[in-house]
Amino acid sequence: MAETPARKPLPRPLPTPCHTTKPFWEAARKGKLALQYDPLAKRYQFWPRPISVVTGQQNLEWRIVSGLGRVYSYTITHVPTAGFEGKTPYIVALIELDEGVRMIANMINVRPEGMNIGMRVKVDFEKLSDEINFFAFEPTE
Amino acid sequence: MRKNYFAKRDVCIVAYGETKLDRVSGKTVYELAAAVAAELFKRTGLKPADIDGLALSTPFSETSNPFYSTFMSDYLGLSPRWSQISDIGGASATGNVARATLALQNGVCDVAMLIGADAPNTRNRVDYGGYRGEFWLPTGLQGPPGAFGLLMNRYAKDHTLDYRGLGALAVAQRKGAVRNPLAYERFRQEITIEDYLNSRLVSTPLRLLDSVMYCDGANGVLMMTTEVAKRRGLEKRIYPIAYAELTNFKAAEQTPDILETGFSVVGPEVLAMAGMTTADIQQFHPYDDFLFAVMLQLEQIGFCKRGEGSQFLRDTDLSPTGRLPINTGGGQIGAGQPGLAGGGLNLVEAVRQLMGEAGERQVPNPRNAMVTGIGVIPYGRNWCSSSAMILTN
Repeated sequence: MAETPARKPLPRPLPTPCHTTKPFWEAARKGKLALQYDPLAKRYQFWPRPISVVTGQQNLEWRIVSGLGRVYSYTITHVPTAGFEGKTPYIVALIELDEGVRMIANMINVRPEGMNIGMRVKVDFEKLSDEINFFAFEPTE
Repeated sequence: MRKNYFAKRDVCIVAYGETKLDRVSGKTVYELAAAVAAELFKRTGLKPADIDGLALSTPFSETSNPFYSTFMSDYLGLSPRWSQISDIGGASATGNVARATLALQNGVCDVAMLIGADAPNTRNRVDYGGYRGEFWLPTGLQGPPGAFGLLMNRYAKDHTLDYRGLGALAVAQRKGAVRNPLAYERFRQEITIEDYLNSRLVSTPLRLLDSVMYCDGANGVLMMTTEVAKRRGLEKRIYPIAYAELTNFKAAEQTPDILETGFSVVGPEVLAMAGMTTADIQQFHPYDDFLFAVMLQLEQIGFCKRGEGSQFLRDTDLSPTGRLPINTGGGQIGAGQPGLAGGGLNLVEAVRQLMGEAGERQVPNPRNAMVTGIGVIPYGRNWCSSSAMILTN
């Protein structure tokens, strides 16, 4: 019986770090979640920007954070995007971190039926390349 | 409240044009736009030499060209003294009416041609870059449908989301498409609420029939001062009487209520400017990239109470002769979305209705209409740009 070679799936798209986000990806390589902190407004902001959205100053600091948060919302993807073929159904969530920012991320180590809004989660990282560990979240239990 | 610079009705829309919506037409934006321009010229008896203002919306199919409006005016034989290109997505159409109004009122131009054209099926040049490539694409969130899945699930947590209400809207808009010869031909058949409830899941809870489908197409209007329109004997004049726009609602907030949209600001504002309430709005042509977006607009502009949008859709006759006609030509969900020219589809239908030219889908005794626009989905929120305009004849 002739075997049809499987079509090689496209790899997951990789982020292209820029000057502003280099510290984020360096922390991720070490398995840590880092966020920009505004020392004047005394709050975090995400996604990383070259300027504070509150003060308009360019004095943001990077801080390693707990990686803990809650599911603010989620969706189960049935029609995959580029790089996610063969992975459906997969879970994409909007996570609200304890530090007061939100991140879009995959949920791992949980089934769609196990998801609920408000559940506690913690960050983990998936290796996408030698340079890039990409964040994901899993239930804390 | 901002100043209402439409209050004097000194600027008007005198003509509209629209192509049939089609998939993979093989046409370029210039060909689609030229068809609309020819319609506008034919209707008004004007020629390219008469046009001294041009406003366009950025199209998916030509984003690679940083001089798009210059190319377009060259294709159409125009030498504009005022050129405007709006990149606020579906809010560009009403947004351009507002921007053209300022130019006309101040004598920067005398006759403005406003066109939206896009051929996203034939050619799509989009590459967003920025945070989207870095923080969104690697997560596999399924574009706007995925973002709306997040919104709908969050809404359903705190409110009743009756999918039969969204289905009722889908059914009503398809009925509009059946009565619209310019709608994408494959959509010109009715569906049932069951068809909607059983349609394929894309990103839960959002289904295929919850959202638009890209087509190729173009639409446009011609604007001039009321004084010039009267002098030229153009008797059918549609007046924008109020407009409000907001981009990146609560941009600086990190943990906002993601269901609160810019319409909670521009909706009440545009009504207050016009001295009206939602009870005075005779017909509603909301930007309809998703059924759920229409529902949120109904709530936040004030056509119904917060949390009661799906019930409102179930209980209200949305047909041209009903209590609140919505997107009478099918809207974009019913007729097809001509890419980033989509906002002009809702606008042109409103103008057509107010001119009394909507044929078998005509709203009886047309007198006013509200048209809205929505532009692009941001990171983890609802949408970036919200626009609302009230027009009258």
